[in-house]
Amino acid sequence: MSEIPTIAEAARLFAARRLSPVELTRACLDRIERLDGRLHAFVHPTPERALADARAAEAAIMKGEALGPLHGVPIGLKDIVDTRGIPTTCQSKILQDNIPEADAACAERLAAAGTVLMGKTTTHEFADGGPSFDLPQPPARNPWNPEHFTAGSSSGTGAAVAAGMILGGIGTDTGGSIRGPAALCGIAGLKPTYGLVSRAGVAPAAWSLDHIGPMAWTAEDCAIMLEALAGHDPRDPASAERPVPDYTAQLGRGIKGVRIGVIRHFHEADHPVGAAARRGIEEGAATLRELGAEIRDVKLSPLQDWVACGQLISLTERAAAYEEWARTRLHDFSARVQNRLMLGALVSGVDYVQASRRRRELRAELQGAMQGLDAILTAAAPNEAPKIEAVPIWDTFQPPNFTMPFNLVGYPAISVCSGFGELGLPVAVQFVGHPFDEPRLLAIADACEKASGHRARRPELAL
Amino acid sequence: MPPEISDETLAFILARAGLEPTEAQKAELKKVYPHFAQMVERVRRPRGIMAEPAHTYGFAERDLR
Repeated sequence: MSEIPTIAEAARLFAARRLSPVELTRACLDRIERLDGRLHAFVHPTPERALADARAAEAAIMKGEALGPLHGVPIGLKDIVDTRGIPTTCQSKILQDNIPEADAACAERLAAAGTVLMGKTTTHEFADGGPSFDLPQPPARNPWNPEHFTAGSSSGTGAAVAAGMILGGIGTDTGGSIRGPAALCGIAGLKPTYGLVSRAGVAPAAWSLDHIGPMAWTAEDCAIMLEALAGHDPRDPASAERPVPDYTAQLGRGIKGVRIGVIRHFHEADHPVGAAARRGIEEGAATLRELGAEIRDVKLSPLQDWVACGQLISLTERAAAYEEWARTRLHDFSARVQNRLMLGALVSGVDYVQASRRRRELRAELQGAMQGLDAILTAAAPNEAPKIEAVPIWDTFQPPNFTMPFNLVGYPAISVCSGFGELGLPVAVQFVGHPFDEPRLLAIADACEKASGHRARRPELAL
Repeated sequence: MPPEISDETLAFILARAGLEPTEAQKAELKKVYPHFAQMVERVRRPRGIMAEPAHTYGFAERDLR
């Protein structure tokens, strides 16, 4: 098969007996075999497990015992997600021999939904920094042009979804690690509300900023995956006790009357974006208006304030989480992670608490700004992906990213493709919703995505 | 926060954290320190003593069971 279906399409094709899970899995394995020598999207493919999962799914579906739309769907798990009996190295020299005894909560839930595990996808070391060339395995590369960066840290999942090696996968997001790779790889990536998806069994980057979420070709596929992933888990102290709604229920019902704010100063003044990214935002706003949404401008504190606050919290929590290894094995980390661990040591206790006080103020500010709005539209990334060698080693001090603000406040945010730039690489926009309002957020992203037509284009090397 | 850091202060902070960077790493850190100091200044502002951090908390219903 040459076409790469979305998760929603695959479920329909399975139900109609026009495609089988084994056939789809073999096609994805063929793509991994053909492309991964160049893309490095996987650190540990699991072809035998994949075929076993696919055969089991196929047998169940043939017996009329389909578990739902993810049954038989090939997926990948970022290599900081614990997987029972399968190496989970966090792309670090320190955990090269780590084979967990239990699955992380998100791995459990996707397995229970009948997914086919294709393997562990490439990550920046412990979901931090990157790209690094001093790790046990090379960094992932962008399927739209392998000379270019994927962003990170869920770099392998982003590359693998874009290249059709998997239909969906797990990413984690502490400052943009789902939405960044989704943006640069031209896919959809959802950072759900803080506490909606359990973090149990996933290596931390910064506890109070960490989110687990789906990455897939479309917003609709993210909704399908979120349905399986969401729900209370007592093993995660931040896990929310709330009923899980139907995340696909509002898709396709139209967005007439939806009120959307655009934070123009983020991408026009605070961190001016490239022409293609700006065009994507303008066209996205115009599309939403045509679909009946009301658009108005929103003003917040400068992007630099949000990102400085998030960075200080992130650096400090990471330095605390990895303190023992930093003290005993500092030089076993990549150069980039060593830099960040040392920066974390420079943050005083008072600095950390001042950042936390600023965090409360910024959260109140966003709450106020979103009164009377259903969602916010902003940039997801400043431009097309840079060349992989061009990413500066001290990326902490680069112009601020557009994703960290929503880790800081825990609001759900999704990145979707908004077009292509001069180099033929994708650009993206980001939508932000109210806490636990993923059904509406996904409906807005889905409507924009379907109206734009950008989902018809795949990286050439995947075809 | 001063925009520069002395060799002695940097060495003290890193040693207190139990880290043993190379001399080249210390030099790099010193070079980027002004950016770090700027980041720290961004979260400071006159807010009085009553402004609380984000991590103060209340008890949820489940804590009382």
